[in-house]
Amino acid sequence: MRSMLAVARKEIEVYFTTPIAYVMLAVIAFFGAQFFNGALDAYRFLALRASAFAPEAAAGLNLTDRVVVPLFGSVAIFLVIVSPFLTMRLVAEEKRTRTLELLLTVPARPISIVLGKWLAVLAVVAVALGVVALFPAVLAVAGRGAGGGAAVEWQTVATGLLGLFLLAMMCTAIGLFFSSLTESVIVSALLALVLLLALWAVTLFAIGVEGPGRDIASALSSSERLNGFLQGRIALADVVYYLSFTVLGLFLTERAVEAHRWA
Amino acid sequence: MIEAIALTRRYRDVVAVDRLSFTVGKGEIVGFLGPNGAGKSTTMRMLTGALPASEGTARVAGFDVFEQPLEVKRRIGYLPENPPVYSDLSVRSYLRFCAELKGVPRRRVAPEIDRVAERTGLSGALGRTVANLSKGFRQRAGLAQALLGDPEVLVLDEPTVGLDPLQIREVRELVKGLAGEHTVLLSTHILSEVALACHKVLVIDGGRLVDFDTLEGLIAKHLPGRSVTLDDLAFLEDIYGKLVRPADSPAHPPGQPAATAAGARP
Repeated sequence: MRSMLAVARKEIEVYFTTPIAYVMLAVIAFFGAQFFNGALDAYRFLALRASAFAPEAAAGLNLTDRVVVPLFGSVAIFLVIVSPFLTMRLVAEEKRTRTLELLLTVPARPISIVLGKWLAVLAVVAVALGVVALFPAVLAVAGRGAGGGAAVEWQTVATGLLGLFLLAMMCTAIGLFFSSLTESVIVSALLALVLLLALWAVTLFAIGVEGPGRDIASALSSSERLNGFLQGRIALADVVYYLSFTVLGLFLTERAVEAHRWA
Repeated sequence: MIEAIALTRRYRDVVAVDRLSFTVGKGEIVGFLGPNGAGKSTTMRMLTGALPASEGTARVAGFDVFEQPLEVKRRIGYLPENPPVYSDLSVRSYLRFCAELKGVPRRRVAPEIDRVAERTGLSGALGRTVANLSKGFRQRAGLAQALLGDPEVLVLDEPTVGLDPLQIREVRELVKGLAGEHTVLLSTHILSEVALACHKVLVIDGGRLVDFDTLEGLIAKHLPGRSVTLDDLAFLEDIYGKLVRPADSPAHPPGQPAATAAGARP
C-alpha cells in the first residue's frame, strides 16, 4: 500500500516537473474550448430558428443535450489519443534506464508498483476532467434553462464525466500494458494508440456487415459504450465493459513486469 | 549471512554462473573479483532477487531468496551495475522515494535521508536534479539509496566506478566502517580496493568459483614466502590527496593543506 503510494507520488512529481502533463492539459483545454464554442454557436442558431418557426420545439431545447453531450463526446476521442502518450514512459523508461531493477529489488510487490503508476496517470486524467468540467460550470453560471430553470442537468453531466473517467481508466490500463512490453516509449505509444483507436472505431470495420458481425462490433466499441453515460444512463454492461479492459490491462502489466525479471 | 548453494544461471545456451556455492559470515566484507563477463553481476542480481536462478538457490539472513523474496529484500541494500537513478527527480525526492519503497518508517525518512547523504558526501547536492549530476554524484546517489534503512546486507556492484581517487577512498572508508554490523559483498576491478577494504576475496572465472579465502590465506597459498604490506598500496593515493582537493569541498580552508582537508590516512 505504502509502496504503491510512493510510486504514485513519484510519477505525479515526474508528470508535473516535465512538460508532458501540461501539454496534455493544454491539448484537452484547447480543443475542449473549440468544441464548446462550436456547440454553443450551433445551439444559438438552432434556438433562433426554432423560436421563429417552431416555438414548441424551442421549449424542448436544452443546453445539456445540445452543448455538453457533444462536447463530452469530442473530449472522449482526445482522451483516447492522449492516454498512450501519458502512459508510454511509465514502464518502458524504467526498463531503458535500468531503474526497474531497483523496483524489483525493494520489498514491494510488482502489483503495487503497477497500481501506483496507474494511480498517477489517473490523477493527471482527473485534473484534465476537472478542466473539462469547467465548461458545463460556465454554462450553469451564465446560461438559463428553457423554462427559466437551471441551464445544466448536473446528473447528466456527472454520468458523462463518470463515463469519460471509465474510458480513461481503460485507455490508461491498456497503455500501461504496452509500456511494459518494450523499452521504447515510441513503440509503446504507437501500439497502444493503434489498439485504442481500433476499439474506439471498431464499428467502422463492420459497416455493411449484417447480423452477428455488427453486434459483436458494437459490443466491442468503446465509443458506443460511452453514449449511454453521455445521455445520463448508467448501464451495468457498460461499466463492466470498461472495468474488464482495465483489469485485464493491469493484470497483463503485472505479468509483464514480473516476466521482465526472468528475461 | 549470505549463502549461495549451487547457484546456476543459464541464458539460452550460455552458462553465466555455474553451480556457484559460497558462504559469507555476518560482518564480513567480501571482495568479489573476476574478469568482465565472469558472472559477477549475474550472481549479485540473483542474490538480490532481481533475477531468478536457473538452478540452485541462495539464502540471505536465513531467508530463501526464491521462497521468501520480500523478507530478503527488506534486509538487502543493493547497488546495481548502473546506478538506478531517475534523471527527472531531485536527489532528495529520489532518496525519499527509495526510502518509502523500502518501508523506512514515515517519521524516520527525513533523518535517514540526511544520514545517508552525509555518509556518501551528497549533503550539498540534495536539491539538485539528478539529470544535472556528474557520473560520480549519480554513483553516490545510487550508493546512498543502497544504504537507506541501514540494511544488514549490502550488495554493491562496482560501487567505485566513475569516482575520482579521493571519492574512492571515501567509499572505501565507508565500506570499512560498515564491517562488523553489516555484511558486504562488493565487486570491483580495482584490486588494491579489495586489498585495502575487504576481509575475504571471492574470485570467479567463467561462472565458476576459482578461490574464496581471506587475504592472508590467498597470499600464503599463491605467493608463498613473499611478504606483502598493504600500506605500500596506497602511496600514490596519499600523494594525490596532498596535491588536489576533494571535488565536493569548495576550497581549502585558509592555511590548511589539502591533504588534511581530505582526511589523510593516519
